Amino acid sequence: MIWAQLLTTVVMFGSVYAVLTLALNLQYARGGMINFGMVAYFAAGAYAYAIVTQAPPEGLDQYLFGFAAPWWAGFLAAGLASLAFAVLTGWPTLRLRGEYLALTTFAFAEVFHSVLLNERRIGNGSVGLSNVERPDVAWTGLDDTIVYAVAALTMMLATAYVFNRILASPYGRVLDAIREDELAAQTVGKKITRIRFEVFLISAIPVGFAGALYAMITTLVSPTLYTAEVTFTVWIALVLGGERTIVGAVLGTMALIFIQESLRVYPFETVRAAQIAASAEEILTGAIFIVMLRWQPFEKLMKKGRPS
Amino acid sequence: MTGDFLAVDRITRSFGGLKAVGGDAGLSFSIGKGAFLGLIGPNGAGKSTVFNLICGVLKPNSGQVILDGTVLSDLTVSEIAARGLGRTFQTPRAFPSLSVLENVLVGADNEGEHVLAALSRRWRARDAELTEKAFDVLARVGLADRAADSVSNLSGGELRMLEVARQLIRDPRILLLDEPTAGVDPNLQRKLSALLAGLHRDGTTMIVVEHNLHFLLEIADRVVVLQSGELLAEGSPGEIKSDARVISAYLGANHAA
Ligand SMILES: Nc1ncnc2c1ncn2[C@@H]1O[C@H](COP(=O)(O)OP(=O)(O)OP(=O)(O)O)[C@@H](O)[C@H]1O
Ligand SMILES: [Mg+2]
Repeated sequence: MIWAQLLTTVVMFGSVYAVLTLALNLQYARGGMINFGMVAYFAAGAYAYAIVTQAPPEGLDQYLFGFAAPWWAGFLAAGLASLAFAVLTGWPTLRLRGEYLALTTFAFAEVFHSVLLNERRIGNGSVGLSNVERPDVAWTGLDDTIVYAVAALTMMLATAYVFNRILASPYGRVLDAIREDELAAQTVGKKITRIRFEVFLISAIPVGFAGALYAMITTLVSPTLYTAEVTFTVWIALVLGGERTIVGAVLGTMALIFIQESLRVYPFETVRAAQIAASAEEILTGAIFIVMLRWQPFEKLMKKGRPS
Repeated sequence: MTGDFLAVDRITRSFGGLKAVGGDAGLSFSIGKGAFLGLIGPNGAGKSTVFNLICGVLKPNSGQVILDGTVLSDLTVSEIAARGLGRTFQTPRAFPSLSVLENVLVGADNEGEHVLAALSRRWRARDAELTEKAFDVLARVGLADRAADSVSNLSGGELRMLEVARQLIRDPRILLLDEPTAGVDPNLQRKLSALLAGLHRDGTTMIVVEHNLHFLLEIADRVVVLQSGELLAEGSPGEIKSDARVISAYLGANHAA
């Protein structure tokens, strides 16, 4: 039973995170853009979903907006919010290269995080928005967790399908060309800034959707859930999966979430033990990252299978 | 200067205070539509820099470049390329993760290169057409049997030909080649010579930088000689061959080398 539960949790959270890894794969591994602020697009989606679906403020509520809209409207709003945030952050930064882009996206995400933390009128500040609306899934006759796991898996597969379709087209080819030699791409007339910007926007949309789904799953949207740790987890997953492929991005995420979640299923007797386990999880994640970067075992394995 | 397809008008460019092109007065020359201009000069004369100034990689400190009536100063490299200007680099540039065929295909304008078109798969018919054209272009530069190869397996000379092929698939109106014969074996050089003559015949305007004067003076119809960034001589290949200043500039360069 505990294994079935673990599997469901891993599929559920793994799929949500895999959407982010897929976006990162498109942006970085193929588009050559280093985004160290992935969590912000995820958070934008989650907050948009919560705000659009929640009831208007009353009594002690400190937030200003609530539209009591149905879940699907919130879901669409989440994609739009993430897209809007990508327009806002991508437009001024995409001319920057490499580490400069990494720093700016990171800074944008930190600013966004501190706005959410301190601005009570958007999302109740540090308290966050609780009792987030979730669609009624009783009609399926299944456990909620299973339904959300299936929903997350479907969303992840749809994202992978769409991204794969984009990357398998001449567009993917141009993306590779721009990443490898900007100048050579420009001398055959490629509008590299436009194409980069497009990729940045396209990849942000499913991240917003994933944010909405995550909000439905956790039923809580608060700044503590959307820290830079999310960004780092996704980066580690991407490195773990071997960077260049869609399948790698998905497997890397699933493996990482599996490792993290399996440490959590152990029924700890004391709070102290649970705290130690949580630290152990962080150390383990860090160690995996270092091993991956240093020895790149999967990259080497894949290269072996390929004719050089 | 009316009737000129490309006019370089009193351009100057310096690097860190050192004048590389144009001296004090600026460098001017022009080329008519469909003409074949050879651009020669000793090492460091500024030939590649002139190419970079024309195609927008570098901006002149003063003066301007005019292509078919449009001043290029405010345009980006890709905007200039989109106006029908093609160029190769002295050090060939290739996309290592793409196959030889894909390296050529990237050169073409393809409607599939818009994100929504990529999703709709409308690009398929066009891509098939372009693939056929890419094979044709590869055959013209002697790389037909290397289409599926990885570019890391190409020699320096073959990479040069690949870069020419990437430009040819775009049907450029004006083509700038920077030392196309360097590292290319004599057999392929003859093929290249025929190819360039053919492009010229078909109306493509050409500017070719070349140290191999036997190769160049046979196919160019006019020659511009640069020395220290300034115009040393200009004329027909016959005139240039017998120009005392050109001979001494080249001999001087050879003596120095
Ligand atoms: N980006 C640059 N930065 C600094 N100096 C440069 C740059 N590009 C060119 N130069 C200098 O400008 C001068 C002209 O160089 P250029 O490469 O245009 O000569 P070239 O005629 O193409 O020579 P070669 O026959 O050796 O290719 C040289 O002195 C070179 O060092
Ligand atoms: Mg040169």
